[in-house]
Amino acid sequence: MKIIMARKRSIRLELPLHLMLIPGILVTLVYAYGPMFGIVMAFQKYQPFLGFLKSKWIGLANFEYVFNLPDFNQVLYNTFLISILKIFFALVVPLILALLLNEVAKDWFKRLIQTSIFLPFFLSWAVLGGVMIEIFSLNGPINAMLSGFGLERIMFMGSNQWFVSILVGSDVWKGMGYNMIIFLAAIVGINAHLYEAAEVDGAGKWKQMIHITLPGMAPIIILMCTLSLGGILNAGFDQILILYNPIVYESGDVIDTFVYRLGLFDQQYSPAAAIGLFKSVISVVLVTLSYYLAYRLSNYRIF
Amino acid sequence: MKRVTTSVALISTLLATMLLAACSNNKETAGESSPANTATASSSQSAEPVSNDPLGKYPEPVTVTQVLGFRPPEEADALQGVTPETNGYIKDLKEMLNIELKYKWTVPSDQFDQKFNLAIASGDLPDMMMVDYNTFVKFKEQGILADLSEAYQNYASPTLRKIIESDGGFALKAMTSDNKLLGLASSGEGGVQVLWIRKDWLDNLGLQAPTSIEELEKVADAFVKNDPDKNGKNDTYGLALNKNFAAGWGFDAKGFFQSSGSYPFAWLKGADGKLIPGEIQPETKAALARLQSWYQSGILEKEFALKDEDKESEDLVAGKVGISFGEWWYPNWPLNLNKDKDPKADWIQLELPSLNGNPGKTLISRGIGAIMVVKKDFEHPEAAIKMANFFQELQKPKYVDKNSPDFKGPKTGYNYSWYQPRYYSGFKDIFLAVNEALDANKEKLELPEDFIGSGEAQTWFDAAKKYQANPKDNTAWGMYYSRVAKDGGIAVAEKIKEDKSKFVYNEYYGPPTPTQVEKGASLNKLTNETFTKIIMGSAQISEFDKYVEDWKKLGGDDITREVNEWYDKNAVK
Repeated sequence: MKIIMARKRSIRLELPLHLMLIPGILVTLVYAYGPMFGIVMAFQKYQPFLGFLKSKWIGLANFEYVFNLPDFNQVLYNTFLISILKIFFALVVPLILALLLNEVAKDWFKRLIQTSIFLPFFLSWAVLGGVMIEIFSLNGPINAMLSGFGLERIMFMGSNQWFVSILVGSDVWKGMGYNMIIFLAAIVGINAHLYEAAEVDGAGKWKQMIHITLPGMAPIIILMCTLSLGGILNAGFDQILILYNPIVYESGDVIDTFVYRLGLFDQQYSPAAAIGLFKSVISVVLVTLSYYLAYRLSNYRIF
Repeated sequence: MKRVTTSVALISTLLATMLLAACSNNKETAGESSPANTATASSSQSAEPVSNDPLGKYPEPVTVTQVLGFRPPEEADALQGVTPETNGYIKDLKEMLNIELKYKWTVPSDQFDQKFNLAIASGDLPDMMMVDYNTFVKFKEQGILADLSEAYQNYASPTLRKIIESDGGFALKAMTSDNKLLGLASSGEGGVQVLWIRKDWLDNLGLQAPTSIEELEKVADAFVKNDPDKNGKNDTYGLALNKNFAAGWGFDAKGFFQSSGSYPFAWLKGADGKLIPGEIQPETKAALARLQSWYQSGILEKEFALKDEDKESEDLVAGKVGISFGEWWYPNWPLNLNKDKDPKADWIQLELPSLNGNPGKTLISRGIGAIMVVKKDFEHPEAAIKMANFFQELQKPKYVDKNSPDFKGPKTGYNYSWYQPRYYSGFKDIFLAVNEALDANKEKLELPEDFIGSGEAQTWFDAAKKYQANPKDNTAWGMYYSRVAKDGGIAVAEKIKEDKSKFVYNEYYGPPTPTQVEKGASLNKLTNETFTKIIMGSAQISEFDKYVEDWKKLGGDDITREVNEWYDKNAVK
């Protein structure tokens, strides 16, 4: 009897909290789950004025069409290459930065560096793209430096050898502040007693880092890695759209930019939906796989 | 029960979201059009003798229903509270013609396509509506359109005729099938390509304005090497170009290709009477080879392929480049900005240069504007023509002049943008009228009672007066030199259009063919990539032959066949 009373009481107390969840759930349902019905377009010859109900069902024809597009293999390869490089460097660079910054003694200096590294994260590619084209242009500062050293000027943005490096480099530079702060937070969360104990045992800074800091951060590193694998087919649409040009289609054209041109040309909703679904399926597989691996290898669970 | 209601609400929200998403994807087509209900015109009238007065009043009310996609009036001084139903035009239409215009439904413009397509799908078609060309073709094939030939012959007012037939009958022919006029539309023509060049730079170097590609090459070369702006720095290049050089909207190579007899992305009639795609012709190969050599010699900027139109326009403004192919509106933007920056800057426009003695022919693309169609079973097709006459009537100077006691405008509850059908004339008459007034040194623009386009004319006249009063007003100069000046934008464009040896028509104005829809993106990528690489020298010019083969194989041959099928069936010849 008492238990039931207690439960009733707790429901009454918690009810407002549960009610507060409703807007969030609604938003998720409407904006995340609702549009999922659009998936049916991938299996239809979708015509807007016929709608989902009357458009003709054509099975996997859209997928066949997309996979048989003459450039699809190249585009898929570009997508994987660019995004794997981005994922790798977007983890390693901020990690190193966080470890370095953690050893900085002067607090004001640490804050200054932290802020200035974080700043580019807030700039949009529309702005940054223009700046980068200027910086890497034939008459830009980078080429002025090269020619100062007596080297040949390079057309970075029009070179298939350089374009991918520039994409990856600038993306990592822009986003590293964000990941760095997450890593710094992880480092702060490590129990300080461990360091004291290590010092007593005679471990130097290097040994402390290898044996305490890194293992302590492992769960976060694995989490970040797993999450970013989900976006492996997103190689960075807005960045590439702003920076690329026909000369570097060969190395820089990715699935998203290709679909963008496909859709722009004549509202091809269905093939675009098919590619979107394809991307999602790959993502789900990869996330599941990495989650499983993380669990097996380091006994770590996110959910 | 409650749960059911919630889920219904939820699902309808989801559906609404999806519909909205679908709406916003629709491209905006003909805009506001309006089917009318199967109008309940009184059948007793049909036996009476017809009076052919274009604005004759019906003895008994005739009801015409339309549908409408509308926007709130743009004018700041528009009378508040006026709706499409209470629009002054509708009131006057009833008073003057005894036509009762009823809207079956009105929706905001952005929802119009969705709603109208639903109406088409459910077969709930109105008597009178404005449609785009694609819809017109569909309706025509379904045989649901009324023949307007007789109504047009008997009722179209001289003003309406003048506007509709200003294209030499092209739109009328395009709307006619089996001697039946199935729709009423005016046609528009895309811009004429000309060559804009810095006159002050030519003078600085003692050069003549180029008339051929060969001369242009010499001038451009001098603009690169001989410091045309005399600032002692090697900071200029020859010809403006951006990455959309074959199909952009300005500062591109379209005019250059056309001077060379090459017309990428257009369809011209070949020797055998069939339409041929411009991008795979030998002239295009030759033009690319010349651009390649210009790239090597520095006439083209090394990084043109990284710039879009806006970016390239900055170079014109900054005085880095003094030659650009383009259209008549350049003085209005960006050349006025260049003059702001450098008061010495002086731009002139030239007709396309010749090549090997053959004059450069600009490409003119024709397009059909919004088409008024009437449903077959509507008993008063002439009412539609009368309604078109009525709109032209209300554009007379005494109704558009804000100081006139008869002014009918947004301020007095007349919203023209909700009324249909509306047809507009070209610039030519306005150009002549404004110049006549300027030549006679008039202080005020006086237009004849039945002048078409008096509002536009007033704007031009004011800008010209402003420029005459202050030649340093570069905004007024831009307006004046693009529209009014006798050697300016519109003047030169009109002169070119009058000389049949100076232009060719793009013969294809139909909707994208099925293969274009399917393979267009791939083909465009192939074309842009190959052309850019050839110009920049990372591909040899011999690559062009392989490109032609690939283009044909990847769907180009199918597109050519489909385009020619359309041409045989639908085109005006």
